[in-house]
Amino acid sequence: MSENDCATSDHQGLRLVKVRGEVDLSWSQRLRKTILEALASARPVAVDLSAVTYIDSSGIAALVEGFQNARGKGQRFALVAVSRPVIAVLELARLDRVFPIFPTVDEALK
Amino acid sequence: MSAPAEALPAPVGLARIGPEEVGILADFSHAFAATLDIGETLRRAVVQIAEHMNAEAAAVFLVDPAAGDIECRACAGPVDVVGLRVQRGRGIVGRAIEENRVQMVRDTRTDPDHLGDQRGFQTRSILCAPLHTAEGAIGALQVLNKRDGALFDSHDADVLRLLAVPTALALNNARLTRELVEQNRIKREFQLARQMQKTLLPARRKDYPVTALNLPAREISGDFYDYFDLPDGRIAFCLGDVAGKGMDAALLMVRASSCLRWAGRDAAPPGEWLARVNRELCETVTRGMFVCVVAGYYDQRSSMVELSNGGFPPLLLRRADERVQELRADGPPLGIVPDYVYESARFALAGGSLYAFSDGVTDVRGPERRPIGIEGVRALIERVSGLSPRARVRAIVGQLRKMSLADDTTLMLIADDRAEPRLLGRIDGSSDPENLRSVRRKVAAIASDLGYDEDARGRIVLAVDEAVANVIRHAYGGCCDGRFELAIWLDADALRFELRDWAAPVDPGRIKPRDLSECRPGGLGINLIDSVMDRWLFRQPEDGHGNQLTMIKRLP
Repeated sequence: MSENDCATSDHQGLRLVKVRGEVDLSWSQRLRKTILEALASARPVAVDLSAVTYIDSSGIAALVEGFQNARGKGQRFALVAVSRPVIAVLELARLDRVFPIFPTVDEALK
Repeated sequence: MSAPAEALPAPVGLARIGPEEVGILADFSHAFAATLDIGETLRRAVVQIAEHMNAEAAAVFLVDPAAGDIECRACAGPVDVVGLRVQRGRGIVGRAIEENRVQMVRDTRTDPDHLGDQRGFQTRSILCAPLHTAEGAIGALQVLNKRDGALFDSHDADVLRLLAVPTALALNNARLTRELVEQNRIKREFQLARQMQKTLLPARRKDYPVTALNLPAREISGDFYDYFDLPDGRIAFCLGDVAGKGMDAALLMVRASSCLRWAGRDAAPPGEWLARVNRELCETVTRGMFVCVVAGYYDQRSSMVELSNGGFPPLLLRRADERVQELRADGPPLGIVPDYVYESARFALAGGSLYAFSDGVTDVRGPERRPIGIEGVRALIERVSGLSPRARVRAIVGQLRKMSLADDTTLMLIADDRAEPRLLGRIDGSSDPENLRSVRRKVAAIASDLGYDEDARGRIVLAVDEAVANVIRHAYGGCCDGRFELAIWLDADALRFELRDWAAPVDPGRIKPRDLSECRPGGLGINLIDSVMDRWLFRQPEDGHGNQLTMIKRLP
C-alpha cells in the first residue's frame, strides 16, 4: 500500500513536487501548502502525479490554486507524468485542457 | 381344389393312438420341455420321428418371416437338406402351412405341387403336418417314403399331427423367449439411454436463480435444458425441443445440447450463439429434423437477461408488478435456414420471473381434453405466484401431471426474487476525513462485484467520496465529531446510495452544480456527483434532523 506523501526537490532549475498515494480531504491541505511553498521562489514548478492512485476535488482544488497563483505571477506551472486515475478526474471536471501537462519532467523543461 | 392329396382335418381319434404313440409323445414333450437348445432337440426329434413312423426321411421346416420363405431346420435321412429354402405356398410343405392342414401324398408323380427330388433322393410319398400355433402355422413336420414300399395311412397322419403339437409348442416357446430376451435388451438399452440423457442435464443447485424440470413422455426425451456459470459471473442457460420423440430425436437432442454447451462457453451474444449452433446443425442434421431453442444469459447482479429464441414457444415474463408479458420467438428453429441472423433481446427481470417451457406444457390436455395453451400456463403461473421459485416449478409440474401429458414436458424458471431493495453495505462513521479511505474501499468492492468496469468504478468511488467529503467539510464545517451514515442499496435496476448526516440543515436550493467553464478551486464536488450519477436528490429527512443525499447509478 502506498503511503500518502508529497515532497519538493530541485530538478535542473525547477522545483519538482512529487506526490504519491490517495489525495483526499484528509491531507489535501498539506499538498496545497507544499505547492504554494514551491511557488514562493521564482523558479518554474512541476507537480509529478505518476504515483497518485486517487485524487478528489479537494486535491484538484490544490492543483487549480497553484496554477492560478503561478499564472498571476507569470510563473511556469505544469503537471507531469499524470497517472490514469488523475487524468480521469481532470477529464470529468473538464480541467484536462486547463493545465499544461507533460509526460516527463524533461519534456516540461524544454 | 383338385389336388389328389387327402386332407385330414378330423380330430385325432384317441382310440387309434396306441401305447407306443403315448410313449414317444411323452419322450417328445419331456425333451422339448427340458431343452435349452431347441436346434439340437429338433435334430434328435426328427431322427425319432423317422424311426417311429418307419419313414426313410423326416424334416422340420420353419417359416422365416424376415426372408419371407420356408427353411429346412432339421432333417434325418440319407440326404441332408438342412438350409433348403422353399418359397411360401410352394411344394407340399408350403401347402401344409398355407392351408394349416395335414397333407398326405401317396404318389408324388400325381401331385403337381411336388417340387421334385432333392439330390438324388427319390421321393415317392409324403406326409406333412403343419406346426400350428395361435398365430397360425409357423412351419411343418414332414416324413417321406414309408419303408418297405408301404404307404402312409390315416393312422400315420394322426400320429404325425400328434407329434407336431409338442414340436410347435416348443418352437413357439423358443421364439417367445427369444423375443422376450430381445425386448428386455432393448428396454435395458433405453433405460441406459435415459440415464445417459439425465447426466446431460445440469445438477440441481440450491439457492440458484435458475430452476428446471424435464418429464419425458417415453423412456427418452427430445427435450433438454442446461445452465452453467460463465467466468464473468453470468449464468448461461438454454432450453431445447427436438422435433419428434423417438430414438432419432433423443440422439439429436444429445447432439444439439452438447453443441449448445460448447458454443455457449464463449459468452458470445445470444443471437450469435444460436447462429453458430444453427450452422453446425444445418450441416450435419438429417433433412426434416430441427431443434427449437431458446438460449441466453442471466446476470444475477443486475437482473439483466439477454436471450435469443429460435422457434421456441413464447416465454412468459411475470414482472414484479404482476404484469405478464409474452416474449415471442424471433427466428426459425435451428437446423433449417443455414445463415439466419438471430436477434438478441435484453431486459431486466427487476424482481420478476421468466418462465420458459416446451410445447409439451401448452399441449397438456385440460379437463375437456383440450390443450391448456399459453392461457392455461399463465393461469398456472398465477396460482403458484406466492411460492419460492423451486416450489413454483414443482407445483406447476404437479398440476401438469394431474392432466394428461402427451409430449416431453420441460419447464425452466429464472427468478429474481429480490423483490425488495437489497442492502449491500452500511458505513456508520464520524465526520473525520480519515474515514474517507474506508468509504472508498467499500464502494469500490461493491461496484466491482456488480460488474462496473474500472473507469465506471473509479467515477462512482469519486462521487461517493465527494458526497461524504461535502458532509465533513460543509455540513459539519470540518469538525470531526459529527456523524454520517452511508447505506448502499441494490434496487432492481440501479445502485443507490443514501447518505445521511445530523448536521444543521442545509438549504437544498444551494446545492447545485456550478459553471465548469470558470476555473476556480472550490465547489467541484457536486459537479462530479452530477456527472457521475444518473440521478441525485438532496433533501431534508422526514424526521426533520440533518440532511439526506440520495444518489442513483444505473447498473452496468
